[in-house]
Amino acid sequence: MRPDSVTGPARSRGRMARLRDDAIRWITRRHAHDGDQAHLGRDRIYILPTRAGYTLFGIILVMLLGSINYSNNMAFLLTFLLVGIGHNAMWYTHRNLLGLQVSTLPVPAVFAGQPLTLPLRLSETAGRAREALVLRIGTHTSAPFPVPAQGTHTAQLELPGLARGVYRLPRQRLDTRYPLGILEVWSWLTLAPEIVVYPAPIDPGHTAGDDGEEAAGAHDRREGDAPDQIRPYRTGDPPGRIVWKAFARSGKLHVREFASGQGDRLWLEWGAMPASDTETRLSMLCHQVLAAHAEGRVFGLRLPDQALEPAQGVVHRDHCLHALARFRSTPVEMNPEPGP
Amino acid sequence: MRDKTARPADHTDLRGLELALVALPVAALPHVWHQPPWITALVVLAIAARAWLLGTGRPAPSLGVMSVLAVIAGGLTFAQFGTVFGQEAGTALLLVMIAFKLLETRNRRDIVIALFLGYFVVVTTYFFDQSILIAAYSLLATWLLTAALIQVHAGRVIPRPRLARQAGAMLLHALPFMLILFFVFPRVEGPLWGDPQREQTARTGLSGELNPGDIANLLQDETTALRVEFDRQVPPLRAQYWRALVMTDFDGRRWSADENRSVIQPTAADTDNVIRYTATLEPTRARYLPMLDYPSALPEDAELRANYQVLRDRPVTSRIQYSAEAALTTPPGAGEPTLDPQERTRALHLPTSAAPRSRAEVALWRATHGDDDRAIIQAALQRFSAEPYRYTLQPPRLEDDTTDTFLFETQAGYCEHYASAFAVLMRAADIPTRVVTGYQGGAWQARGEYLRLRNADAHAWNEVWLDGEGWIRVDPTAAIAPERIEQGLPGLASDTGEEIPGFLRRGEGLSWLQRARFGMDDWGDFVRFRWESWVLAFDPERQRELFARLGLDSQDWRSVLIALGAGFGSLALIALTWVGLRRPRQRHAPADRVLQQLSRRIARHDRRLARQAHEPVDAWSRRVARARPDLRESLKAFAEAYNRQRFAPLTPEQRREDLRHLRGLLYAVPRGKPPAPRPDPAHA
Repeated sequence: MRPDSVTGPARSRGRMARLRDDAIRWITRRHAHDGDQAHLGRDRIYILPTRAGYTLFGIILVMLLGSINYSNNMAFLLTFLLVGIGHNAMWYTHRNLLGLQVSTLPVPAVFAGQPLTLPLRLSETAGRAREALVLRIGTHTSAPFPVPAQGTHTAQLELPGLARGVYRLPRQRLDTRYPLGILEVWSWLTLAPEIVVYPAPIDPGHTAGDDGEEAAGAHDRREGDAPDQIRPYRTGDPPGRIVWKAFARSGKLHVREFASGQGDRLWLEWGAMPASDTETRLSMLCHQVLAAHAEGRVFGLRLPDQALEPAQGVVHRDHCLHALARFRSTPVEMNPEPGP
Repeated sequence: MRDKTARPADHTDLRGLELALVALPVAALPHVWHQPPWITALVVLAIAARAWLLGTGRPAPSLGVMSVLAVIAGGLTFAQFGTVFGQEAGTALLLVMIAFKLLETRNRRDIVIALFLGYFVVVTTYFFDQSILIAAYSLLATWLLTAALIQVHAGRVIPRPRLARQAGAMLLHALPFMLILFFVFPRVEGPLWGDPQREQTARTGLSGELNPGDIANLLQDETTALRVEFDRQVPPLRAQYWRALVMTDFDGRRWSADENRSVIQPTAADTDNVIRYTATLEPTRARYLPMLDYPSALPEDAELRANYQVLRDRPVTSRIQYSAEAALTTPPGAGEPTLDPQERTRALHLPTSAAPRSRAEVALWRATHGDDDRAIIQAALQRFSAEPYRYTLQPPRLEDDTTDTFLFETQAGYCEHYASAFAVLMRAADIPTRVVTGYQGGAWQARGEYLRLRNADAHAWNEVWLDGEGWIRVDPTAAIAPERIEQGLPGLASDTGEEIPGFLRRGEGLSWLQRARFGMDDWGDFVRFRWESWVLAFDPERQRELFARLGLDSQDWRSVLIALGAGFGSLALIALTWVGLRRPRQRHAPADRVLQQLSRRIARHDRRLARQAHEPVDAWSRRVARARPDLRESLKAFAEAYNRQRFAPLTPEQRREDLRHLRGLLYAVPRGKPPAPRPDPAHA
């Protein structure tokens, strides 16, 4: 949300939000960089009554006034019992969060625009089963989840799709109202798992008006230039190159091999993409990377600032996709709120 | 399809509704006896409907349906009570509100609100009943409500036993707070608004007014009003009329007591015939003292008024004790030929428009019996016993002229109706009559040898003036419902008649069954007595005493702060100690305890040999072995056993066996230093 694009009330709301954000940042300054794990000690757990808490407080107050007015000792007893329960709820709710260990797990990379699932691992070591914990980032909320005593639980938080790039996770909030719902106990986390968003693949072949021969990618040699050779399958050959027709006929696995050593090398070129803007090019390259990997090709990727030598396999594909995601991109804090 | 996808979300949010549908009826159950049946029906119906909707996965009724229902219910409540405020109407409204809240429950917030109101319902129970049974029951209700509240917020279904344990623990942990606040929270005297005492005494206790037409539902208050110990002789049950208020003035509907009568001296009775007793009176916030008929000697701070009503010099705000004497057979004005003319006028006053039909009836009696006042009295009593008069605690409301309506139409009521109607009949017949309210009956407590009069034993009767005989007691309720007069000792009076009290004092001559029943009653009252004297009787006066005993002043806020601080401080100390004691036990495995013991044992001779917290056991044992070569072998074995115990995968049996072995090694390390073994008295 750009500051100059918002109007009056929205701007003041924005200012309040920023003020609030600054306040929280100041409060949590000791835990500004949790890195990949955080221990929820007493120094970072906060507590405030909820609306239900104020309601119960009001009800207890009315009960107290009634007890005084009617000089009814049993009413006094029950009122004070509820006061005791309400007071102890501070302790119970606090204990529901205290001592938990929260650590990051690798965030599965997604393509731009795809929803993101953030996994966080919670470990319990104090021997108390925890109930109804909720993980929040901004307005995004996980389903309440328990953590078993002396056990772990992987919390999942669905986040909306993002544009291509590399992101830092904004401040997270782990909270609970268990057991009575009259108090909320929470802790702010600044865990920093890396979030990588690949470009959304776009098939360059379908780009209108630019259907030239070399448009779909710059091959050193077209596949047609050298006829395929067929050789028996060896362990490690990509499944995409298996000649299934031959398998159906003979019952033996064969793979297709390109004629010369250089012949099956495919260079995916930045400059060859039929688009002018960076993001579209990256998206097209992304599509090409995926296609080449699916075909089991050996391929390299050439970007203006770097080149990845030809190789094949899942690891290579992911390297390429990461390179596309990081292209001219510095990690930014993701904005978890729905668009402007 | 849409429905199916919407439903699960709805249901997850309604987790805990099931339990709420159990907890709330439990909380509301004691009200069934105090509320009109339609309220009960409504609540049951609403809850059953919600349970059905929940069971079949249907959504709650729409807002429109709910508002129509709410308006109807509010109207019904108003129609029933004429108000929506006050104890009964307020409670009724609360119950209806909860029922509807449950019915329309859409989300978690609705359930939470209903459960909070459930706590409120539990408190309103105490308007009607403060017995220890209700206390135990409301603990159960609170427990269920709390469990439901936990389930609502749990985010998943928690196994019932765990839920029960957790809710129970919460109540248990809250008990110390409850007790401290109960005794220390500053109590203030009297009501903050309104006159709840009157509202309460209108139930069964004694009010300065008698208004038989207005109370449609007399509630039986089982709490004790008065306890009486007799010095020597226990009067027969029939003679035990405890007069409290005497009402001479009647305005056609309402009888009222007069506290401004002149003071008179009681007539001294001959000492042989006198009953001496000590009474313990629960606070009434009024000045009257119940006295056994007829008072002949009074406590010092009380005086006898011309209408034979005994008033204390100040209201009874806390439980008091007083001693007095009674002469059973000497009614007021005995032997006086005529009644004081002014008094006579007052005791004959009837508003001219009052009770025309009754007057006509009495005129007939006069015509039949002439001047014979006794015959007129008999005629009136016979009317009550012959006609289909009923004794009931739920009499119909009396419209128009209360006396005529009661005598000729409804013919159902309790003592106040009969006493009032009888007095009107007598006055119509020109016989001076007044209404006396007080207590009659009661239960003899063999364990403590005292008579207990409950608020439910409140009674109203009449006194008629007969020249030369004085004010003679007539109990018209006895004509209709003699069992009420005799029911002080249930089932026993009919067997043994008049002589009950004589042997009751020793418990002789009772069958084992009767004795057993008495035993149980006694235990019941024993518990009740403790409950009443320790819990229910605690008031500003007792709080002052308690504070004074601790050298504090309950009227001084600093004292209150000190008491609160001391209470909660010691509570915090206990809690911290408990937490502190628990933690090491969790942290240290048994093997570590043995290790600590060994370290202490070795360090006794050389402090430097104590194991440092960061020091691995192997490194430590080697370090010690260098300084104490004599222990080398033992330490090596110990370190091995320790490591095995801590880190090897052992079955529980092996672990126990191995631990025993480890402890054996501890004792193998000699206590003394070999070169110069010193006796160690502390470890002899």
